[in-house]
Amino acid sequence: MVRPLTGFRPMKKLKPRQRVLVYQLVMYGLAAVVVLVVASQADWPKIQKNFFNTEIAADMFPEVVTSAVKNTALYTALSFVLGMALALALALMRLSSLKPFRAFAIGYIELFRGLPALITLLFVGFGLPIAFSGFRIPGGVLGRGSVGLALVAGAYMAETIRAGIEAVPKGQTEAARSLGMSQTRTMFTIILPQAFRIIIPPLTNELVLLIKDTSLFFILGSTPGTKELTKFARDFMNAERNATPLTVVAILYLLITLPLTFLVRRLERSAAKAR
Amino acid sequence: MTHAIDVRNLHKAFGDLEVLQGIDFTVETGEVVCVLGPSGSGKSTLLRCLNRLEEPNGGQILIDGEDITDPDANVDQLRTNIGMVFQQFNLFPHLTVLKNLTVAQTGVLRRPKVEAISIAREMLERVGLSDKTHDYPAHLSGGQQQRVAIARALSMKPKMMLFDEPTSALDPELVGEVLDVMRTLASEGMTMMVVTHEIGFAQEVADRVVFMDEGVVIEEGRPEQVLEQPSHERTKKFLRMVSEH
Repeated sequence: MVRPLTGFRPMKKLKPRQRVLVYQLVMYGLAAVVVLVVASQADWPKIQKNFFNTEIAADMFPEVVTSAVKNTALYTALSFVLGMALALALALMRLSSLKPFRAFAIGYIELFRGLPALITLLFVGFGLPIAFSGFRIPGGVLGRGSVGLALVAGAYMAETIRAGIEAVPKGQTEAARSLGMSQTRTMFTIILPQAFRIIIPPLTNELVLLIKDTSLFFILGSTPGTKELTKFARDFMNAERNATPLTVVAILYLLITLPLTFLVRRLERSAAKAR
Repeated sequence: MTHAIDVRNLHKAFGDLEVLQGIDFTVETGEVVCVLGPSGSGKSTLLRCLNRLEEPNGGQILIDGEDITDPDANVDQLRTNIGMVFQQFNLFPHLTVLKNLTVAQTGVLRRPKVEAISIAREMLERVGLSDKTHDYPAHLSGGQQQRVAIARALSMKPKMMLFDEPTSALDPELVGEVLDVMRTLASEGMTMMVVTHEIGFAQEVADRVVFMDEGVVIEEGRPEQVLEQPSHERTKKFLRMVSEH
């Protein structure tokens, strides 16, 4: 029998529970080392001055809330409502028995999911007035930006809604039809209410994405009254030559999005229980 | 005399699979007909053709003398006269029991809301579930859900009722309450066509039993005749297999 080299104890002598303990200790140790190295290398006074300057942060209020947060919320809400209406129409076309409808919906969805949102916004903001001379979407930045984002969001949400409709059991349609309901009435009173209940979590995710995408509105130009959070922060940052505004709006974004993502998680858990 | 249901040379195929291969039979007004047969014999498909949940490929179906296989027939109108009860109940889970019973009354038949609600309450009382009016389906047992489904169909005041294996999805101890409701309905003179595996129910309640296999009617007649002295080998074999359970 071959003896192990001096002093070397094979791992298998450890009991499973001990092995887990050793593993955890090593991992925590590694994490501590990384944190220490980064912390010791960072220039703390500079970071404090540039990212957590309380005076500059205080200067941003109240406009950052009364104007920037308000605009972000407004842009998101309008994009979401327009996008939802478009998505519903697209989803129903996608499931239609008429081939041209299906083809249009598929083409639309693939096109707008494949393009960067920025490109779509540029087309809506600057392409449309060229292509149709004199044509402008009303509502200024709000109108043009929301339509642009709605075109994109509609494509994504259409697929979500379609999945929701298809997730409603076939028996629901049969029961409704056997009571004499028309196809349209069945869809709107029986299928869609159930479909939307199923897709509330993914739709909320879509809303969170939209909140962040409104930061692209800067591309359409802005006046002091139309800046949303990101544009507001960038202008403030340039004026003050200081990055604190970024920290402030980052916190504000999280204050809006985190409750929503927590909500999604709760909805998903309760939906899993209800099934 | 016109029959309540008159099926003539009915054909239905799913792709290459011929599920119904020329079915002929009639149901008279007030008659209770039970359809028996092994799974895959086409009995559910036959039932589903009667209100055109399935489109027949050939043949004719006359309901109260009206040809419903006519492409111009108003299917939605026709279906309000034919109540249907499904194996999986198919209650609308997002609506209360009461709403389940009124949604088609007000939406399709255009009955005033007050009238629809009073009819719904009457039907819930008939199936013994008056205390569940404002519950959601998920809070009911399987047997209660199926009784609500029967009440929902009855709320339309149909001329006839189709039952597609109404007790097959139920736990054994819940079958009785559903069969009780159906028994009462039959005794009140409702025209009923019941696809079922409940031989006992067929024996007791049916005016006539139809035995189907492989897409054709093998034999039909009085329950005591078909169930106790079947003349065909396939009927005998099926009854032996069912009674072994």
